[in-house]
Amino acid sequence: MRKLMTGNSAVSHGVVLSRAQVISAYPITPQTTIVEELSEMCADGRLPAKFIRVESEHSAMACVAAAAATGARVFTATSSHGLAYMHEMLHWVSGTRLPVVMVNANRAIGAPWSIWCDQGDSLSQRDTGWLQLYCQSAQEALDTVIQAYRIAEETLLPVMVLVDGFFLSHTSEPVDIPDQAAVDRFLPPFRARYKLTPDEPHTFNIMADTSLFISFRHQAQTAMEMAKKLTARVDREFKRQFGRGYGLLEKFRCTDAEVVLLTMGTAASTAREVIDQYRRQGKKVGLCRLRLFRPFPAEEFIRFLSGVKKVAVLDRDNSLGAGGIVAQELKAALYRAPRKPKVFEFIAGLGGKDITPETIQKVIDTTLRQANPNGAPLWLEVEA
Amino acid sequence: MKKKKPLKKKLFLPPMSLSYEGSRASKTGTWRYLTPAYLNKLAPCNESCPAGEDIEAAMVLAGQEDCAGAWEKITQENPLPRVCGRVCFRPCEAACNRKEFDEATSINALERFVGDQAFQSGKRFAPPQEKKKEKVAVIGSGPAGLSCAYHLASLGYGVTLFEAQPKLGGVLRYGIPSYRLPKDILEQEIDNILSLGVEAKTGARVGKEVKWAELKKFDAVFLAAGAWKSLPLKVPGETAKGVMSGLEFLLRVNSGQTVALGQRVAIIGGGNTAMDAARSALRLGAKPVIIYRRTREEMPAWKEEASETEEEGIEFIFLSSPVKINTENGKVKGIECIKNVLGPVGKDGRREPRPIEGSNFVLPVDTVISAIGETPDFSFLPEELRKSTGSLPVDETGATAFKRVFAGGDFIAQPRTVSYAIGSGKKAAMAIDATIHGKNAVEGLRSARWGEKGSLSMARYKKGGTDGIAPEVVPFSDLNTAYFKRQARERKEKLPLSRRDSGFSEVNLGLSPASALYEAKRCFNCGVCNLCHNCFIYCPDMAISARPDKQGYDINYDYCKGCCICVEECPRGAISVEVKK
Repeated sequence: MRKLMTGNSAVSHGVVLSRAQVISAYPITPQTTIVEELSEMCADGRLPAKFIRVESEHSAMACVAAAAATGARVFTATSSHGLAYMHEMLHWVSGTRLPVVMVNANRAIGAPWSIWCDQGDSLSQRDTGWLQLYCQSAQEALDTVIQAYRIAEETLLPVMVLVDGFFLSHTSEPVDIPDQAAVDRFLPPFRARYKLTPDEPHTFNIMADTSLFISFRHQAQTAMEMAKKLTARVDREFKRQFGRGYGLLEKFRCTDAEVVLLTMGTAASTAREVIDQYRRQGKKVGLCRLRLFRPFPAEEFIRFLSGVKKVAVLDRDNSLGAGGIVAQELKAALYRAPRKPKVFEFIAGLGGKDITPETIQKVIDTTLRQANPNGAPLWLEVEA
Repeated sequence: MKKKKPLKKKLFLPPMSLSYEGSRASKTGTWRYLTPAYLNKLAPCNESCPAGEDIEAAMVLAGQEDCAGAWEKITQENPLPRVCGRVCFRPCEAACNRKEFDEATSINALERFVGDQAFQSGKRFAPPQEKKKEKVAVIGSGPAGLSCAYHLASLGYGVTLFEAQPKLGGVLRYGIPSYRLPKDILEQEIDNILSLGVEAKTGARVGKEVKWAELKKFDAVFLAAGAWKSLPLKVPGETAKGVMSGLEFLLRVNSGQTVALGQRVAIIGGGNTAMDAARSALRLGAKPVIIYRRTREEMPAWKEEASETEEEGIEFIFLSSPVKINTENGKVKGIECIKNVLGPVGKDGRREPRPIEGSNFVLPVDTVISAIGETPDFSFLPEELRKSTGSLPVDETGATAFKRVFAGGDFIAQPRTVSYAIGSGKKAAMAIDATIHGKNAVEGLRSARWGEKGSLSMARYKKGGTDGIAPEVVPFSDLNTAYFKRQARERKEKLPLSRRDSGFSEVNLGLSPASALYEAKRCFNCGVCNLCHNCFIYCPDMAISARPDKQGYDINYDYCKGCCICVEECPRGAISVEVKK
């Protein structure tokens, strides 16, 4: 069934189709309408889940963590400061290997106050042990939520699904809603291997002595490595069943590209139009949209960029004192590549500033014009 | 850290750190250096009740809509809840912790409600479980005498009440007007006491109809003949027709006699007797004026009585003292007064009035009622006891200089209130019981003590002081008021003013069942576990569990690590901390 809906509504539908059993969340713009719709569905019985109201995001994550520990399929959503407030619990959830799925509607972190989009909120949680999948469309958001449960429950790692605040969360587009029966075939009920139950009491997260802590971390790292392959496999299976797939890296006009623009989220759909303009001018320019940021698909990049001369990384984030986070990760990955492209770094669109076709033209023009990148990332469209 | 037992041959590491056993294996109680323990403590209302009522327990039951249970709790200590619920000066409410939060709980109105409800549902005193052979004479059937008779009869003693007046009740019948305490209610309360087998001899004034020597056949005597002798005004004209004492006036009105007052009535005094006399005079159709030598602030009458008197439109003349009663043909025709100023503070802590020379003024009045104080009449007592002036000396058990003769109520030196009288009657009953059985009365009374204000509990006395309630009183600071919401106090309905000057209908109308329940639930239940479950909910070690009988909680000290969150989260201070392992 095709329906016109916002990105947030698409997320809600994905959660319903995934048969989440426990939902706990605290409202924050631009995420709020996700859990608003879910709470209504819980209230009127369309979704037979327990909705737990809480006083903070920290508690919301604690609630879904506890529910997941009992073997329930859980969901929460947040944005920006709410995500920052969850920071501690993010570590606990991944350390406990709980398959929590969360949607974060990307929003800049203050100060100054902003409710608008950038990806600094989720990227600054990159070391918490969560998978991160960045979406470009409402359809992809719905599909990714369903995929996320498969990935989370098979790897016992939590998954964060990212939608750009307002650009995706609040804009409407036609979305194909899969049949429940089809989703049920794709996503069987969660059967936890370890769960809290009075029948077989265990304490979760007992103190690990010095000889064991590192081993638990190593297991999680191994799981993260596996998650890369699994994410690709789940996406392929999804494509087989539903006709839609996204990959870890989504490539556009890249086959013979000498210059590749790399970005994440909704900026990629604007970039597609711009790439076509350059192609019409005969310029060998392509686009790569990074969908799986964590675990970072380093090998995939090495293979893919072998033979590409220049990569322009457009970061909608910035690690103060270092630069764009996607660019940093990419450069680190390429260090072991036998043939390295030159990496041009750009920062744009922070705090909701629009990334227009002109913005993207500046990125591509600069990359085409300059033989070598500047010493530091180029900040676009900033006041002097 | 728990011991990991190897699984099969190879060490198997689960994906997350998890124990092989449940948390019960970890006895966190070994960490403890503070030990919480349930300890029911004394509520300040209980400590402050001169009649020694277990108010807190009664409030819990009333809050559970168990009026019969609440009535039983109250009447273990005080046989007259319907009387006290109307006339008590309610020191319990003055001590109520809730007043620090919003307003004191309406304990007094609830006592009345509980008493009235229990009576209407047919609750009566249970006959004594055993009969004892000893007999006790109780002289005077006011609140002290009735209380003593009730408690002794409940303990199984044979009791004979001697009353000088034709009917029982003493000050309750002949002193307190029926608009404050309706006579039918008083009679129902008295009948209930008599049903325990108390023998009543009315019209039997000791020293007149009954000789002192006749009392010798009793194993003990309780003297509670009240304070019925009015102090003289000591002004010229005091013997004229139309001058009477407040008590004499009230006695006649309350006996149903007609009293000719004329139009204008001057009442001299600022105590409760003066208020009662003035309000009774108003109801008889006269125009009363109260003349008091000091100001409103120094009036010894209770605030509520004084304000009701004022509400009813009765005139007060402050800072004035009578100097002469003007007469004509031996009958009152006016009263001459002098104006006062307040001088320095006197012995009793109040500023002394000083007359202003030449400030005399005359009020034309038909009747003068003097209500400047009352004193007991000792004339019927044997020589040795008659020597005392003011009040009869007694020791801490209520015993007089005569062996096995005890005294209480207004006969002895204590505040002249119904509840103190009831308390003294109960104290004498305990002391008599202990004395007759050759026990140490002082020890017996000590075991019955509730706090430090002299309240005595018969329930405690019977159990030898082992009722599980610690002697310490819970202060407001020990309560966790986060669990209470601010709620205004329910007030008693009152008879409209338009209906007060034409009859003796009861002025206070009491609480509706809904208001009574609301008030009972406003009670903090200071110091006593009421099974609110907070400790159970908050214990992070799940060391607290409800007892199998659901009448309390147990702490499993194998797991209690002494965080004492339960102590903090107990709304009513019913958990204490011991600092030791």
